[in-house]
Amino acid sequence: MSEAPLELSRYAIPYTPFRATLEEATIALVTTASVRQKDDRPFNVEGDNSYRVIAGSKSTAELTYDDEHYDHACVDRDLNCVFPIDRLAELAREGRIGAVAEKHFSMGFCQALRELRSTTVPAIAREVERVRPSAVVLTGG
Amino acid sequence: MLGIPTVLITVEPEESEQARPPRALCPRGFIAGHSLGKPGDVGLQKQIIMDALGLLLGPARPGEVIGRDYT
Repeated sequence: MSEAPLELSRYAIPYTPFRATLEEATIALVTTASVRQKDDRPFNVEGDNSYRVIAGSKSTAELTYDDEHYDHACVDRDLNCVFPIDRLAELAREGRIGAVAEKHFSMGFCQALRELRSTTVPAIAREVERVRPSAVVLTGG
Repeated sequence: MLGIPTVLITVEPEESEQARPPRALCPRGFIAGHSLGKPGDVGLQKQIIMDALGLLLGPARPGEVIGRDYT
């Protein structure tokens, strides 16, 4: 398989139909809100093109964030405001979704768009592909 | 190889539209850092998630950011 990033037309919308039900769906989160596990290394708040893996078993009590670019009034009290992993866990227990994916991903603040597109995003896409959730919910923060 | 369906929750709909998302929900009036609403508001956060996931079931509206009021 080619390792080159998939190049889409500037005008294409990458759309994959969803053919399951939510009750049987495994859901993964991907965020750019600089979230990470507390035991993981911090993002560089001035610019960081790395990403972090967050285990699906984690609760927000085991997570933190490294950010100086968005308003923190909500996340200082409840990280679900940008990374609703506790809510997903509850929805799964309630049977409203099938399951929380085993891995979730977070990017940090980064303005190096070329590097993000050529390196970071394809790497996350490959990891998401390995997890193969039914769907991904993306949040920007 | 088949892709994986995605849905975006965005508080910056104009910027997000430029990225041509396959599915996107904008909780109107919310700002960055508050995409899912208020701290500890479990009902609201779940509502927003389920509305976002609901876009997976509804008619395809690729590239459109669907705004919804939650206040």
